[in-house]
Amino acid sequence: MRIIIAGAGDVGKHLAKLLAYENQDIVVIDLNQERLRQLGSQLDVSTIRGNSTSFRVLRDANVADADLLIAVTESEEVNLATAMIAKQLGARRTVARISNEEYLMSKETLDLRKIGIDELISPESLAAREIRRLLRIAAVTDTFEFDQGLLSLIGITVDANSPLMNHSLAETSTRFNPKNNFVTVAILRDGNTIIPRGDTQLRPNDHVYFIAQPDGIDWVLELTGKKKIEIKNIMILGGSKAAYHTARKLSSNYNVKVIERDRDKCFELADQLPKSLIINGDGRDVDILEEEGLGNMDAFLALTGDSETNIISCLVAKDKGVKKTIALVENIDYIHLSQNIGVDTMINKKLIAANFIFRYIRKGDVVSITGIHGVEAEILEYEVNNNCRIAHKQLKELDFPKDAIIGGVVRHGKGEIAMGNFRFEPQDRVVVLSKKESLSEVEKFFK
Amino acid sequence: MRINWKVLFNILGLLLVFNGGFMLLCLPVSLFYEHSAWGAVLSAAGVSFLVGGATWLLTRRQENKELRSKDGYLVVTLGWLLMSFFGSLPYVFSGAIPTYPDAFFEAISGYTTTGATILTDIEALPKDILFWRSLTQWIGGMGIIVLAVAILPILGIGGMQLFVAEAPGVTPDKLKPRIRDTAKRLWIIYIGLTLLETVLLMFGGMDLYDAINHGLTTMATGGFSPKNASIAFYDSAYLQYVMIIFMFLAGTSFSLTYFAYKGAFDKVWQNEEFRYYLFSVLIIILITTIGIYLVSDVGLEQSFRDAAFQVVSVISTTGYITADYTSWAPLLTVIFFLLMFIGGSAGSTAGGVKIVRHVVLLKNSILEMKRQVHPSAIIPVRMNGKAVTQDITFNVLAFFIIYITIFATGSMLMASIGVDFMTAIGAVATSLGNIGPGLGTVGPVDNFAGIPDAGKWLLSFLMLLGRLELFTVLILLTPYFWNRNV
Repeated sequence: MRIIIAGAGDVGKHLAKLLAYENQDIVVIDLNQERLRQLGSQLDVSTIRGNSTSFRVLRDANVADADLLIAVTESEEVNLATAMIAKQLGARRTVARISNEEYLMSKETLDLRKIGIDELISPESLAAREIRRLLRIAAVTDTFEFDQGLLSLIGITVDANSPLMNHSLAETSTRFNPKNNFVTVAILRDGNTIIPRGDTQLRPNDHVYFIAQPDGIDWVLELTGKKKIEIKNIMILGGSKAAYHTARKLSSNYNVKVIERDRDKCFELADQLPKSLIINGDGRDVDILEEEGLGNMDAFLALTGDSETNIISCLVAKDKGVKKTIALVENIDYIHLSQNIGVDTMINKKLIAANFIFRYIRKGDVVSITGIHGVEAEILEYEVNNNCRIAHKQLKELDFPKDAIIGGVVRHGKGEIAMGNFRFEPQDRVVVLSKKESLSEVEKFFK
Repeated sequence: MRINWKVLFNILGLLLVFNGGFMLLCLPVSLFYEHSAWGAVLSAAGVSFLVGGATWLLTRRQENKELRSKDGYLVVTLGWLLMSFFGSLPYVFSGAIPTYPDAFFEAISGYTTTGATILTDIEALPKDILFWRSLTQWIGGMGIIVLAVAILPILGIGGMQLFVAEAPGVTPDKLKPRIRDTAKRLWIIYIGLTLLETVLLMFGGMDLYDAINHGLTTMATGGFSPKNASIAFYDSAYLQYVMIIFMFLAGTSFSLTYFAYKGAFDKVWQNEEFRYYLFSVLIIILITTIGIYLVSDVGLEQSFRDAAFQVVSVISTTGYITADYTSWAPLLTVIFFLLMFIGGSAGSTAGGVKIVRHVVLLKNSILEMKRQVHPSAIIPVRMNGKAVTQDITFNVLAFFIIYITIFATGSMLMASIGVDFMTAIGAVATSLGNIGPGLGTVGPVDNFAGIPDAGKWLLSFLMLLGRLELFTVLILLTPYFWNRNV
């Protein structure tokens, strides 16, 4: 596939990385020579310096043959214009990143397909969605949905007194998992990723990843000693766009308080968010947070533009007894710190956007990959066809690599957990978690 | 600050020419009825044309055509005063109203669409003079539409920006090129409703002359009637119900009526002020109906009709009378007195404080409690789903405080010249609110003839103040307007 990425910012860079691993033919356009040089040296992509709205630049990128153009520069206008022009010049599909939510909300009235834009991506809105998902199952630190939630990957730090503790997984599975609605797929222990086998035992402080059916999620929460945390009161720090999107999505189901420093911004937010309480004050001032009842909050979301402020204030919130803290961080390198330092989840909206675009590209295709922050393994989704090695075979008959595990299968619109006697059929979509070194081996089963 | 007097006088001259033109409309009436004063009307028109035309011609050449928005205060105030002065000429020339304070009072009561009268025997006046009296209200109503749509929002008076966005085709940032279009559209609604009411009244058996007069004064929420007994003269339920509906419409924002005419009923319903207007009217009618039914010996229908008519008449600041609201019960007298402070919707021809301001004040007061609990929270008042900016809220607060202060001061001044308490507060409230009838000796079945001359001048001033939303006039009395350095 020939893909043009306009904009080598964080989203563009991350996308390029994801796609380049797949051996796609990628062209990155950016105005900044230095960014392009860095990208070109790290990845197998070709780069063009120039304005992506320029005909010449797009022609140089061979836009007429492009299967996909992704416009993810910092400027919304440039993105829209690039996508429109590229479509006119022959690109097959176009994706544009925007920040103005009006475009997203008026999808019915304004048909963007007509002017050549196939999909709109708003990192802020996606981040808000992710936050909402994390709050729905608040004990969980990471979630990832397959096929709109038919199967979910959830990450949890298991309590020391959980019944799952100190028994082999095979043992706990027969005792505690009669309905077979979840499976353990990875353990993060002291920074190392372990792909569990039947004889693996869980230890205190393990961060464990499960793949579960929708009804399995509650069961997992109970077993791991995480009562479902009831979230009712939420405090959001910062009045950023992401904060606005989040508050808007949450305010109909939760009591939302937004703390913002700038008075005019506060007024604007108060105008747009009738159901939320907007507080004018500096969120770094703990007194203000406490006066507004920080201790009574069920969740604290730090969504200012400053990563450090977000992380520190989450730690303060945690210290005051807030059950769930989420910090928005700009710096991707910070993300895997979260569990180590005590912030429940850190999210990066650009990473989320890149993953979303990636999944959009992959929609309907054979493979879908994603990574979990901090885990040295990839999640892949394969479709079984008639000729591949796995078809018509039971799981126990397969000699699956040690560093990979089959988590679940989506069959006929239903998520299933694959146990030993599960038989694979064509058209099954199989979710696999694999360490990098076993990737090629795993691939052979589905060829 | 330098005022562009030349342009200002040019506009005023043009206004007088228009005023003279309207006077000529009385001539057909003069020709038709024996009892007329065509000489007076013609000479008043002549004077208006002469003065207005000369002023207009002399100031026609201007190097600087620009009129700053601040000049608007002066244009509007002077305009209303000049119109009232020239509008009083037919009364003076015909000798229909012998003393000048009375003539000016009657004229400004017309142009401000108040409807308070000093006439004891209205029907004794020449028909064309009475027609002119009704016409002054109608002209005043037209002026108010322009004022409400175009001028007050620009001047930002008393939170009138609130409803600007609701006016058809007007957006706050691109107001000027569309003022003419918007005013035109609203005028068409105004003229259309006037004609419709006239026709409907004629269906009910009213003669053409009376129907036109009432049509003109209803849509302006004026309340002048060519009959001594006002609407009580007509003992017809149909006529009274027609008038109730049209008074209610006249007190509704004309922009909303325009939307309704265009079929956009959802827009009407979404308008918060309209909902408050409708429901408060309904609730007060209900209470009043029960009150009348209990204390007087009239039937339920009559109680309801009297209640509805008087409530809508006072709340829309029209001031027609079918029953003496001070004669029922003390509670009802108090309710009607308080109703004088409500006023119709913004963007209508109604005067008074206006519903939208009351809603903002009320909401703000309730939210103040929430603000006490969350001292650093930003909790704006919301109208029509949008947050009202703080300066508008302050503006509305200031308006209300000034309104009450003027009411208090005016009442004291009236009392100081020997007017009794009830009459003083009633006369001041009704003048400031542009309603018409008051309490005591200026109650529904009486008139303002007995008020001392000084009192008439004061009330005339209050009518102008109330009509021009206080600030327009008051600002001219402050040094800030005349001296930029203060």
